[in-house]
Amino acid sequence: MIERRERKPYWRHTKWQMMASLLPFMAVIIILPLYADRLNSNKFLGFPLGYFLAAHGIILIAVVTVAIFVRQQDAIDHWHGAHEDN
Amino acid sequence: MAIVTPARSVNPRLGAYFGIFLSGFFAIALLALILDGLGVDGGLLSLAMLLGPLLLYLGIGASTATTDPLDFFAAGRRVPAFFNGLILAMAAFGATGLVTFTGLLFMIGFDALFIAIGALAGFVIMAVMLAPFLRKFGAFTVPSYLGRRFDSRPLRIVTGVLVAVPMVMVLGAEIKLATEAAVLLSGWSHAQVLALFFLVLLVTLLPGGMRSMTWTSVAQGLAALVAVIIPVAIVASIITTLPLPQLTHGPVLRAVGRSEAVQGLPIILPPLLAFDLPEPGLQPIMKRFSDPFGAIGSGAFTLSMLSMLAGVAAAPWLLPRLAAAPGVYEARKTLGWATFLFGVAVMTASSVAVFMRDYLLDLIARSGPAVVPPWLAELAKQGFASINETGTQFTVSSINIARDGVLYSLPIAAGLPHMLLDLTLAGVVAGGLVAASAAATALGHVFSEDLALGGTWEPPHGATRLHLGRAGIWLAVGLGILGAAFSSADPLRLVLWALALAGSTLFPVLVLSIWWKRMNGFGALAGVLTGFTVTTFGILSGLGQGAALDSTMAAVLGLPAAAVAAIAVTLATPAPGRHVLEFVRDIRVPGGEILYDREMRTQRLKKQRQLA
Repeated sequence: MIERRERKPYWRHTKWQMMASLLPFMAVIIILPLYADRLNSNKFLGFPLGYFLAAHGIILIAVVTVAIFVRQQDAIDHWHGAHEDN
Repeated sequence: MAIVTPARSVNPRLGAYFGIFLSGFFAIALLALILDGLGVDGGLLSLAMLLGPLLLYLGIGASTATTDPLDFFAAGRRVPAFFNGLILAMAAFGATGLVTFTGLLFMIGFDALFIAIGALAGFVIMAVMLAPFLRKFGAFTVPSYLGRRFDSRPLRIVTGVLVAVPMVMVLGAEIKLATEAAVLLSGWSHAQVLALFFLVLLVTLLPGGMRSMTWTSVAQGLAALVAVIIPVAIVASIITTLPLPQLTHGPVLRAVGRSEAVQGLPIILPPLLAFDLPEPGLQPIMKRFSDPFGAIGSGAFTLSMLSMLAGVAAAPWLLPRLAAAPGVYEARKTLGWATFLFGVAVMTASSVAVFMRDYLLDLIARSGPAVVPPWLAELAKQGFASINETGTQFTVSSINIARDGVLYSLPIAAGLPHMLLDLTLAGVVAGGLVAASAAATALGHVFSEDLALGGTWEPPHGATRLHLGRAGIWLAVGLGILGAAFSSADPLRLVLWALALAGSTLFPVLVLSIWWKRMNGFGALAGVLTGFTVTTFGILSGLGQGAALDSTMAAVLGLPAAAVAAIAVTLATPAPGRHVLEFVRDIRVPGGEILYDREMRTQRLKKQRQLA
């Protein structure tokens, strides 16, 4: 069970983690498709690079973002004693 | 006060059970292949491919009956992350993703990715901003969460009524696509297939509510994923020698790009907000596959992607899945699996689209007089393609392909045995059933918990609550079947409208309800009502001729309007009381008792004290 005075630092930490997970991810998914045209002249695995990054790359980035978030947030929970009991 | 919640044990044999299910599913498919080789009537085998898996789902549904409300409304809160994520991914992808997204990719290539990127980003946002907190809260439906969080019954009932609209749209769209696939398999009429699906949904959902839905949907999700991947993997091993279509269709895509250039497919530079979504019917391919922004302008791409994001992150038919996770940590992991499996589905759809384009462009690029190959004749016979003119040579505009037939065209174009087309169709039926069951249970629970019992926080004990829950699901399935039977709208547009409505109604309010302590019930009510009204208005005005904003992008207006209304009204009304503030603090911490259970218990104790 979390101690009362740990609540504020815990939430501040959680907020920073939220920003750290979402801001780079949102920047990538908004900006990357807009530049796909220019990247398409390069190739990767035979794919036009712009298409490859927009289709496969963003999937990879999304999975990695969630995986890192799950790890980090769990560490934050344990650090502040906010984790579940079981 | 330390109340230890009993650790909910996960059934350790789940993997074995679903291994048995998959073996059964494959056995049906392989038996069909063998019997086909022995000369058994093809129609009979197609029918077996429809009814065999349906019988397996029915068996799972019937064997997961329950009398426990926690099982009925939240699958006992013991669904492991992988299975939960599988259902979440396939309920979001559904038959709409399998059929229409593949077709959309085939028609407009890169531009269709706004759907995939938006949905994936929606899962990421859900994982970080909503999932852990909604799981900690533990409410069975989104309106219950909002009502309890802001201690406001009007908010609960109003949200319940408003979120029913997008859920009925999704149900209708998914059942419609599944019906079309089943009609192709069985050769029955639409009405007969709809009646069959009505029965299947009732038998798989009524015995155990969310519990039945969970385990039948895991089976259906696995079936859908596998049944769609296998034919593409076979095509991939024919074309690229590696049975991993998701990663090896690159060289094929390059060949497609060269053919497109040779054929002189125009490079289109549309206006910023152009949104030219292909209709379901027959049409020639419009633009080059890997060149971005031919049919959809770059501005419209970004905006519709963000609207998808909000819709998926706040979808009231997806969020109740989180209540079924065994804990907050597992709820976060659920989203990891959902993102991964959704990604696999997207990559598979993209490989289907590229291979199909390759077959088509190969035919067009062939020099010499135009000879209709057998597969094209077969496609034309099935109604998936049409040939405009057979002059001296095929051009891009001389062959029309149906958007919603692309997925089914690939096994035919590759000359695979008929059984693989049946397998794909069975996969689409399964995909449609996953999404439809998710929407039907969520909607049914909203009907029973938030509308029928919305005036009270003390649901009746025992059987009455479950009977009401079953009546709610019955009503929801009925509405979905009626929607599928009588709506003539394009299923893709229906789902995009539903996501626009759900996103603008719920997304700003849900996010603020967790991340902004000062938020109060009036603000939430204003946000929900404004989001729904503005988006409805946007959809209706977007349907008119020459509208500036396409109807599927209505959330572009609705989302900011809802956020502004929620914030402005909150600031104009008194701050929430201490009890509500304490509540928000508890939502934000993963440890401790599930808040919904605690609230229900305190309500009961209060009542008992009053009686005494």
